[in-house]
Amino acid sequence: MIDHILSLLILIPLLGALVIAFLPDQFRQQLRWIALGALLADALLLLPLFMNYQKLEAGLQLAENIDWITLPLGSLGVVSIDYSLAVDGISIPLVVLGILVLLLGVISSWNVIDKAKAYFSLYLLLSASILGCFMAQDLFLFYLFFEFMLLPMYFLIGLWGGPRREYAAIKFFIYTFVGSLLILVVMIGLYLSVIDPLETARYIGLATPAHAQAGEVALMIQRLLAEGSLSADQLVHSFRFEYLADPGNYIPGSILNMETGRYILNMPIRMLAFWFMFLGFAVKLPVVPFHTWLPDAHVEAPTPISVVLAGILLKIGGYGFIRIVDGFFPYEAQYNILPLGLLAMISIVYGGFNALGQKDLKKMIAYSSVSHMGFVLLGIAAFTAEGFNGAIYQMVSHGVLSSMLFLLTGVLYDRTHDRSIENYRGLIQVMPKFTILTGVAYFASLGLPGFSGFVGELFTLMGAFQAEEMPVWIPALSTLGIVLAAAYFLWTYQRMFFGEFWYRNAPQPFEDLTNREYGMLVPLAILAVLLGVLPGIIFNVTGPAVALFLD
Amino acid sequence: MPEASRFFPVNVLLLLPFMVFVVLWLSGRKFNRLAGWLGALATFVGLVISLWIPNPDKVQVFSFAWTQIGERSITLDFRLDGLSYLMLAVVHFVALLVQLYSTAYLKGDPNLHRYFAFIQLFLFSMLGIVLSGNLLIMYVFWELVGLSSYLLIGFWYQKKRPVWAAQKAFVLNRIGDAAFLTGILLLIYYTGSTDLEALTYSIASISPGMLTFIGICLFGGCMGKSAQFPLSGWLPDAMEGPTPVSALIHAATMVAAGIFLLARIVFLLTPEAQLFIAIIGTVTMLLGAFQAMSAWDIKRVLAFSTMSQLGLMVTAVGIGSWQMAIFHLVTHAFFKAGLFLSAGSVIHALHGDDSFDAQDMRNMGGLRKPLPITFICYLVCASALAGLPFFSGFLSKDAIITEGFVNLSAWGNFGLVFPIAILLGAGLTAYYMFRQVWLIFFGESRYSTSGIDPHESPGSMWIPMAILALLSGFWWFSFNPFNAGQGWFLAYLGVSETSHLSWVPLVAGLVTALALGAGYWQSRANKPFGLYHPQAIQSDKAWPSWLRDYAPNAYFIKPFEGIFKFTAVLERYLIDAFVNLIAQTTVVSGHLLAWVDRNIVDGVVAAIVGSAKSLGKGVRSLQNGRIQSYFLVTAAGMLLLFIWLFFLL
Repeated sequence: MIDHILSLLILIPLLGALVIAFLPDQFRQQLRWIALGALLADALLLLPLFMNYQKLEAGLQLAENIDWITLPLGSLGVVSIDYSLAVDGISIPLVVLGILVLLLGVISSWNVIDKAKAYFSLYLLLSASILGCFMAQDLFLFYLFFEFMLLPMYFLIGLWGGPRREYAAIKFFIYTFVGSLLILVVMIGLYLSVIDPLETARYIGLATPAHAQAGEVALMIQRLLAEGSLSADQLVHSFRFEYLADPGNYIPGSILNMETGRYILNMPIRMLAFWFMFLGFAVKLPVVPFHTWLPDAHVEAPTPISVVLAGILLKIGGYGFIRIVDGFFPYEAQYNILPLGLLAMISIVYGGFNALGQKDLKKMIAYSSVSHMGFVLLGIAAFTAEGFNGAIYQMVSHGVLSSMLFLLTGVLYDRTHDRSIENYRGLIQVMPKFTILTGVAYFASLGLPGFSGFVGELFTLMGAFQAEEMPVWIPALSTLGIVLAAAYFLWTYQRMFFGEFWYRNAPQPFEDLTNREYGMLVPLAILAVLLGVLPGIIFNVTGPAVALFLD
Repeated sequence: MPEASRFFPVNVLLLLPFMVFVVLWLSGRKFNRLAGWLGALATFVGLVISLWIPNPDKVQVFSFAWTQIGERSITLDFRLDGLSYLMLAVVHFVALLVQLYSTAYLKGDPNLHRYFAFIQLFLFSMLGIVLSGNLLIMYVFWELVGLSSYLLIGFWYQKKRPVWAAQKAFVLNRIGDAAFLTGILLLIYYTGSTDLEALTYSIASISPGMLTFIGICLFGGCMGKSAQFPLSGWLPDAMEGPTPVSALIHAATMVAAGIFLLARIVFLLTPEAQLFIAIIGTVTMLLGAFQAMSAWDIKRVLAFSTMSQLGLMVTAVGIGSWQMAIFHLVTHAFFKAGLFLSAGSVIHALHGDDSFDAQDMRNMGGLRKPLPITFICYLVCASALAGLPFFSGFLSKDAIITEGFVNLSAWGNFGLVFPIAILLGAGLTAYYMFRQVWLIFFGESRYSTSGIDPHESPGSMWIPMAILALLSGFWWFSFNPFNAGQGWFLAYLGVSETSHLSWVPLVAGLVTALALGAGYWQSRANKPFGLYHPQAIQSDKAWPSWLRDYAPNAYFIKPFEGIFKFTAVLERYLIDAFVNLIAQTTVVSGHLLAWVDRNIVDGVVAAIVGSAKSLGKGVRSLQNGRIQSYFLVTAAGMLLLFIWLFFLL
């Protein structure tokens, strides 16, 4: 089982989705249990995963590689697509976060009755593709998972969302889809330029797959490739991350080769490819000015979907930056530290100011997400060890905190169906426990030391200051983000929760937190403190992988 | 492990308040009556420990690994030296008195357990600042102090204003903290650590310009916490919190954290940074003093005065004498806490129904008879603040002025601005304290119409006040009431030889006497201090009241509001509009294409189909069964084919 543990993590939710889809109608009440069971099984699988994961080892682990598609295309060489899964220190924290957030999402969906079959089926499909994204080691496979997320998300917003759900869903779809297309274009370019040296050796009969000599064989093939003594139809093209990241595997004269790169409009094609990829993931992260789908999607999405969206979906953008953009285009990324840092700073400050101006609680949190994910970009842009570690940490931290924030908003929305900040006053009088937990989430999010938000901001900023090419004023101005965070969170807190109790609309039973809500919120709060006090939990895992990555 | 045993006291000092905080917070109302005593007991233990461990000659540093990131390991450093012993004693001592006082002052409040829990949280964070051995760990506790201040100002969360004031305090502090953090991260970038010991050597590698910038950034932290202009607006509003909290946090300890920070980093301040600090300090000092002269709220007068005195301390650091700043910090901590507690006693005595404002000095007057003990304590502490001879305030203020005249060398004659401004500030201080004492305790009583019957406070309140008043005497700090240089205190801080200008106490005394004379003259006037002047009521709104506007959010939200409204417009009419334009263009071109498809492409197809039909008819007419016709057509076709083959290929 341990050999296929990563596949199981994807297969269990997928199987759950199928079971739910084909279950007769009389089992409608059991659907949520199946969804919960599937994700709980995933969560339990994390135990053997941890036991078999070597924390100190930097490279990919628990790998599964199966030849999936091998197709000779004549002068275009041979297509080789692998079903390749593995994890390392960069992806493991996000896989764990993903399972946690998805699990909370199911619990938060407990009262979805309307079209429950489709809902839980799509939800599990979404879960499988999100987890797949973090484990795929083949660009084709990654892209498949990446695209597969779109469809369930589109329907989950478009069918179960608020009044303007169609608009939000289509906006989400178009933005992300355009981003995906840009990634697809670069993917084709990468395919045309990169070979799999081992498969090539095997294909032309130079080597038998003897593991001991794999490195030598690869070097030999790379040498032959550089000499040009391999003809086009002998080459086995690959999408595997590890080959894409190695300059030796790029065919001389191919469009994305590093030395003989060509130009379009006076711009090296590699640079263009870098920006295409960047845009594709920038939409997901999101980076200002490609973020406007996010507030709309959040406002219209039902609570659990908001939780999944902010908690884990955005992180695929950050993960893609590190693994794919920086992984395949490291020199371009280092060349562009200044513009990337600038975009990060703009996201941080712009998101903060916009959060200050919102009247809708969910929109306020959505813009705070823009601001906080800006710190992720800042850390990645810096291209330093502190920056990368901090960015991954910030992603985990934001996943925990934004889940908590959206769940808290959902608590209020469940009771009144009203998210307008101005319609509430003095909620502490009727919902004291809710107020305390909201306070914890707000202070944690505004970066109070002792909570995870502080550590994430501290180390991404530290990374940005360390970057030689990044002018000091970029991180210095980014600290404005922590001032703004204090302003918008505390202002909201003051307006909604303190003073005499008042509610604009018809009186509602303002019931304090239920046990189910406690069960979701308290573990998140504890996690935020735990990560904030002992950041080593994350850094010990990410550290070696980042160090290897920077090599 | 010897390291562990040496660290033991620091451990206890930090963990004790934290544990009490957790216990009290989780215990709920069960502990309501016991909470104050439990807190006071814990603080007493802390005081004993902090007085018991001193070994001021030796600097002790303790390091713990916190986390490892990349090649860099982040350590938690704690440091014990003369300065931290001093601060430990002061913080514990004032906190102990304030907690005892609070048990009586807040008697009957349903949330006392929360109150004392937050006081302990504050102590934990404040002691953390005092004990921290590097700037990063100081920043951590710095923020936690901000949290406890937020929680304590907003203790009465049912009311609108305290919560607003709490939020304002936190956000204004955050502005300073962002600068502080920038400074810390720059130091990490240039030297690799913020360890106070290591920095003394490693800053040599930083260019002077950058070092000035770093110094000013770090000073930003002080500007927030110590309420320096222009981040000073939160301090007067923080008076919305319970009065003992004002005494402990917003007079004696937390606001002094900025001065403590400056004392810690004084070695890296370049002359330019010092000049900046001195200017900000002087502006704050004068601004606070002027505002204190016109405020009517008893606590706000004291808050403006605190702001002014903090400005004085900051100026002292700026003119290059952090020891004098710390000296004034300690004397000020005692007499200002004493003043706040006494003011609390006055408020407590006058407390009635909500229609009567027990904090407005226009409602007081003649209180020296019903409140004799409070009057004496107030008078003693006010004298110390006003800088009258034989009081501690005279010693420390005098020391700062002397330093100002002695250290002229750095800026030449321009440097004269600072000691002269301090003299002016001293005069203003004497004037507003005279005004306050007169308005509260002298003259005719103005509260009697409201049916208030003031009564002296119980012992648990006046004993702490009396202790603090006693500590305002000169003899605790120096045997010579006119020269602090001969006392143990400055010797303890390592000032071996102090310059003493014998004319400075004289001039200072003269200025104070003049100010008191002016105050006395005012009190004899027809309308003393504009008391019955109709415009006096409006004085709160006068310039520069924008610093502390009563209208909620006006100060810091208004400027932001403009920006975020602008970004919202930008969002809607630029970014989204651009995307919408693309979408609309796409849709419109879609429709256009559909039209083209329908009418042109389809038309062409229809035309082709149509022509094919007619062609078919023609062809059909060819296939009329006549063999000659077939032959003819075939021949013509062959011919055409040949022509095409030969001529075109």
